[in-house]
Amino acid sequence: MVLEMARPRPIWQIMFSTHHTDVGLLYLITSLAFMFMGGALALSIRAELFFPGAQIITDAMTFNRIFTVHGTTLIFLFILPFASAVGNYFVPIMVRYKDMAYPKLNAIAFWMIPPAGALIWLGFADFTWYATPPYSVISAPGPAADMWIFGLKILGVSSILGSINFIVTILKCKHPDMPISKVPLLAWSFLSSSLIVLVALPTFAAALLMLLTDRLGVSGFFNPAVGGDPIAYAHLFWFTFHPEVYVLVIPAIGMMYEIIPRFSRKPIFSVTSGIIAFILLSIVSFASWAHHMYATGLSFTEKTVFMVGTLAAVPASAMHVFNFLATMWGGRIKFSTPMLWAIGGIALFFSAGAGGVVNSAMPLDFVTHDSYWVVGHFHLFVMGTILFGSVGYLYYMFPYVTGRMYNRKLGNIHFVLSFVGTVMVFFTQHVLGLFGMPRRVYDYPPIPEWIAMNQIATVGAMIIGVSMALFLINMLYSAARGKEADMNDPWNLGAKYYYPYERKNPQH
Amino acid sequence: MTMRILAYATLALALSLPILPVMAAEPGEYLDRRSEIWNLFFRMMTVAFTIGTVVSGTIVWLCWRFRESHPKAKRTKYEEAGEW
Repeated sequence: MVLEMARPRPIWQIMFSTHHTDVGLLYLITSLAFMFMGGALALSIRAELFFPGAQIITDAMTFNRIFTVHGTTLIFLFILPFASAVGNYFVPIMVRYKDMAYPKLNAIAFWMIPPAGALIWLGFADFTWYATPPYSVISAPGPAADMWIFGLKILGVSSILGSINFIVTILKCKHPDMPISKVPLLAWSFLSSSLIVLVALPTFAAALLMLLTDRLGVSGFFNPAVGGDPIAYAHLFWFTFHPEVYVLVIPAIGMMYEIIPRFSRKPIFSVTSGIIAFILLSIVSFASWAHHMYATGLSFTEKTVFMVGTLAAVPASAMHVFNFLATMWGGRIKFSTPMLWAIGGIALFFSAGAGGVVNSAMPLDFVTHDSYWVVGHFHLFVMGTILFGSVGYLYYMFPYVTGRMYNRKLGNIHFVLSFVGTVMVFFTQHVLGLFGMPRRVYDYPPIPEWIAMNQIATVGAMIIGVSMALFLINMLYSAARGKEADMNDPWNLGAKYYYPYERKNPQH
Repeated sequence: MTMRILAYATLALALSLPILPVMAAEPGEYLDRRSEIWNLFFRMMTVAFTIGTVVSGTIVWLCWRFRESHPKAKRTKYEEAGEW
């Protein structure tokens, strides 16, 4: 099998390979390493907030640095590369092509990630993952801020190269006998998210350059002292990063589309509605960026337009949820580990979506803006939907990658602990926000309700931490010494493993 | 097929109904529109929580009813044909 723990290859053979499964493996290992690093920072944040006052972090600046790198790492160095790992493994196989369209470009796109990660981690900037101007322009300390900007710039180029590769592979390299409507929904999810990246990302690339030249003092785009406007940065940032939310979530939904029919022992209820929902989400993702900016003085009409634009995502998201439920309906569901994660992901996706409806409604947004509600909402999406879909899929692809089976009991315990922890942390943070606690604070007044809710959230985070430690042990141990998987039917579903499981892509 | 289109159309109409009064507001009616938007919010939340309850309940029921260990569980027709 590809990872070949039983028959290891020299590491350089994998590192310098351009084969899509090797690059996928590199993406996978890198993204998981960053997940644990970013997760460790999250635990330190939660430990700090267990009580009011300084606990384990010495000062507010260090706290700011930690949550900046936490957010940047988990979004750009975990979720995106993880999706690329899955795409690299399976998109060429799904479209029946020998490799990605541009294998060398693919390897280059991956090799941009480690140096970018090093810049972000060695710099340890403090201006949030949003790079808040005018602070980021005027007084954020360098070289940390500049290293962050360069790191993000490199990651942006990597994402664009990866997206071009996915689009060309799917549209131009698919087997001539395969109409686009027959391309599996996972590949469709990569097609739509790649198109979003191509349209959205250049705006932020420009904003980063403007930010850098502002910092160098040769321009003043976002510096009010010389007539610049920080709100302009907010527009540029959110024009990219609201669609980016969909770039993160769409592949996770695609992964659920692989898992749910498999373990329900039924085909997907409606492939067409899945495709339409992906296309709709891709389009409406650009109609909602200013809902992050209701509090910045937009006119009432502008706010109304963006509120309606945001709500336009609801029908498309609902189409996915109904498609999942209709697929499960009448099936014979086997609750193996990947299926548990997928179902948990659907439930939390729906909860996060309901919170999003509240955020998009401008009257309540003024109440929740910059409060812990927003932290809870965003994390419920990122952790509850994207991570649940991704981890479920990781369990699903584990036999394919390693030829071995993960420990099922540990996998199920991992799910239960993560689900309980996620609910404890992020549902509580919603309520904490309604009680008025602002986000991104190092300390807070000793209000009994705030203390209690922060402690519930911290305990939940520690539960997630334990579950992730079990996950790490499970992955490492099972990859090296796990039971050999029955590659015809690893989960005893009574059918062949969906993917071709030969040592190499059979089209190669 | 027709039934499915009809179901989607009904769903789309039901989701767009709460928005219509706001979209119909005339310029200059600032205060009225403010109250309208609050009204919209409460209606939206009522719809969201109602649908949320139904969907969450459906997920739980589906998991319970269609689990493979359920006494009434039987092989799907797709399993028989090996097509899924």
